[in-house]
Amino acid sequence: MDVYLQTLLSGLAIGGVYALIALGFSITFTTTKTLNFAQGEFIAFGAFIGVTMLLLFSGLASTTTAVPSEAASAWRYPAAVIAAGAVAGLMGVLIFLLAVRPFAGKGGMNWVMSTLGFGVMLQSIGLAVWGPAPVMVPSPLGDDVLRIAGAGVRPQELLVLACAILIMVALDLVMRRSRIGKAMMAVAHSPQIASLMGINVGLVMIGAFALSSGLAGVAGVLIAPIASASLFMGIGFALKAFSAAIIGGLNNPRGCIYGGFILGVLESAVGLWQAQWREIVVFGLIILVLAFRPAGLFGQAAVDKV
Amino acid sequence: MRHLIGSVAVAAVIAAVASFIENEFYLRTLFMICVYFLCAAGMNVLLGFAGQKSLGQAGLFAAGAYAVALLTTRYEIGPWLSLLLACGVSAVFGILIAMPSLRVKGPSLAMVTLAFGIVIEKVVTEGSEVFGGAMGIYAIQPLHIGGVPFTMLQWVWFGLGLCLVAHLLLRNLLQGRFGRAFLSLQADEVAAGAVGVAVYRYKVLAFVIAAVTCGLAGALVAQQNQYINSDFINFHLSIFILLLVLFGGSGSLYGPLLGSVTLVIIGALVARWTWIEHFVNGALLLFALYAMPKGLAGVFGSLFRRFGLGHSASRGAEPSRAASKLPTRSLPQTAAGSLLTAGSLNKAFGGVVPAKDVSVNLTVGHIHALIGPNGAGKSTFINMLTGIIRPDRGKVTFLGQDITQQTVHGICGHGVARTFQNLRLFKDLSVRENVLLGQHSRMQNGFVSSLLGLPKARREEAEALQKVNNILQFTGLLPYADAPAGSLAYGLQRRVELARALASEPLLLLLDEPAAGLNPQETAELGQLLVRIRNEGMTILLIEHHMDLVMSISDHVIVLDYGQKIAEGAPSKVQADPRVMEAYLGTSVEAA
Repeated sequence: MDVYLQTLLSGLAIGGVYALIALGFSITFTTTKTLNFAQGEFIAFGAFIGVTMLLLFSGLASTTTAVPSEAASAWRYPAAVIAAGAVAGLMGVLIFLLAVRPFAGKGGMNWVMSTLGFGVMLQSIGLAVWGPAPVMVPSPLGDDVLRIAGAGVRPQELLVLACAILIMVALDLVMRRSRIGKAMMAVAHSPQIASLMGINVGLVMIGAFALSSGLAGVAGVLIAPIASASLFMGIGFALKAFSAAIIGGLNNPRGCIYGGFILGVLESAVGLWQAQWREIVVFGLIILVLAFRPAGLFGQAAVDKV
Repeated sequence: MRHLIGSVAVAAVIAAVASFIENEFYLRTLFMICVYFLCAAGMNVLLGFAGQKSLGQAGLFAAGAYAVALLTTRYEIGPWLSLLLACGVSAVFGILIAMPSLRVKGPSLAMVTLAFGIVIEKVVTEGSEVFGGAMGIYAIQPLHIGGVPFTMLQWVWFGLGLCLVAHLLLRNLLQGRFGRAFLSLQADEVAAGAVGVAVYRYKVLAFVIAAVTCGLAGALVAQQNQYINSDFINFHLSIFILLLVLFGGSGSLYGPLLGSVTLVIIGALVARWTWIEHFVNGALLLFALYAMPKGLAGVFGSLFRRFGLGHSASRGAEPSRAASKLPTRSLPQTAAGSLLTAGSLNKAFGGVVPAKDVSVNLTVGHIHALIGPNGAGKSTFINMLTGIIRPDRGKVTFLGQDITQQTVHGICGHGVARTFQNLRLFKDLSVRENVLLGQHSRMQNGFVSSLLGLPKARREEAEALQKVNNILQFTGLLPYADAPAGSLAYGLQRRVELARALASEPLLLLLDEPAAGLNPQETAELGQLLVRIRNEGMTILLIEHHMDLVMSISDHVIVLDYGQKIAEGAPSKVQADPRVMEAYLGTSVEAA
């Protein structure tokens, strides 16, 4: 029984991370009809910026391959999360201006390839700065396993879950209640009409990319203590998060969140049975969903008017 | 023919020059250019022509490489046969990666292909029992002649030969019916289906072509190295193959050549530092997208034109001086008056019901008009007849055959052609190519005869060109034949779409608001044109709001309102019908 609870909790934790990233995909897709194909690099950069910040805050040289556990204590980890989110958000603005805006809205989907190219450049820069070796990152709550109803849980998993839920609830409120959120929903519905209503569509789109990339950066720092930071970690997370977005429906932010949690728990459950089958089962599921409900479990099929 | 001799000569010169090169590194670079040319040539079909963004080509490269590795080491099949089988295995993987493309489009499809590449990478890395993981598979049998393995020079010659064959075959394919069909997929899938292109089949075909060339390239690399491991298969390979096409010039026949030559040489120069190599590739990808959307081929092309070196190819036979006649297909004898019958068609989108028990009978040789207020369900009706929307209930019979559940291109094949309310032209293609696409379903040449450039394919192409010229003359579009369709004035674009529909030699022509956006002069001309088309023996159903046009040319008028047929009959009879007046003018309180 405790094994199942344990699986469920760690699945929810990793699912929370998928949900954050999937939400990022959904935000740019609804507002700009584009996706950031370099999202994986943003996750990895987020993790490494987090690492660098932790080392900077505690006054250590930034060349170590492992971060000592005291470096993540107290205020330093939250500060690193915020810093990583902010830097990744700025990079999101950059990628929007350089690689997305010149191509968005035109035929041919050239932004797919331009964001990919941007990602390749980012990864190369990352390799030059931080090197290819993975870095162990300590959890701010320590690594002692907690016991909840007999199930062993790593405190970082609970922290990740709590942070993810907190961020998503906050975003959901902002989206539904605030002027900014309403502006974003208006742009998602129709950029032309939104601009006629006096909404600065260009700014909303920049904001969408900043937010989406910021979420990826935050996700990177959150997951680093569980998965350890590596410049090659991103693509796997990004693909699974995208799968989560597909399951939930790219047009439906809440659906993306459910999709993230579903995928996390499913992956964790498959891991219980056969660890190396995880990826294959996950991607198999995506193909099934795409085959029977191309708009996702919670999405609505767009009617193509002829 | 000139092209064939030229290509063979160029390849022969390179082969001869190569035989004087002693430096192994230079020979290997030449060999890698050949390998990447193969990848790029297939990818160009997929990306440049069919417009499908596949980001998982490394997976297909792996399919070929590991197939040849396992076949020669585990099953001890000869290297030549293994190479051939590896192409087959890659083709199967090509079908596999094409499957999602039948359901999803756009960015999601790109992401799925990306995932495909990553999964294959994972499988060959983790599955160390079969694939050797990072240790790899050793002792792959190289190609040999009489038991003596190829020397490096022979590899180069072999590679050059394959490139030559690939280039010539793909050129045959892409310059005719198949190339146009691929381009139509890229431009507009709905319109492609409506002109008779079997959208799914062509998509799968494009994926398979790219898979076979990529797999062949992978197999060559594995056999030449006599070794393959998981390091070969990575995301950067997929990106590199994409870059080859984009940088060289996507959609150009020479793009893959330019791309593979320049990029392999650049790669060889910066190969000492891996991360710089990747950085350069990423930067070049962005640069190509920004600065030269048509790649090196586009840059060279415009340079040649500037210095007057390009030859302006005037394609097509001279139009006959005599008043041209439309190509038409003969009506089967069984058709006694009634061409198409729609029986109690029903369709609902949620609460909106655009069709409620609509029954219509279309008579051979008549111009039928379908009128009704906005939102009456007129376009939906045409969409149901052409298979774009499936009715919830009801039956469509064309010449006694039930076509309700048939595919869009299948219905076009029976002789039902259409135009769209919001123009769906292939904007970047010339007017002539647009109309030639209309001929697609009438052309008989299949894949093999097109690929090999057999006389049959040439004959079909020449015949189609002749028919298209006649249609262009009939519709008065001949002066614009070589202009991109999207560059014409709106009224002309409407006429191009009509010409494209005529090119499928339909028995029934469905026109969705052909006069929308036309000025009175153009509308009157259109009316005359439609009467001339009817006089050629075609039956027409048009949706139209210009009542003077409708009333002057139609033999029979059908009125829809809120998805229901409220009146039909001769124009004068319908005009006098009180229910029609009510629908249009709202004379009754209950109306609206």
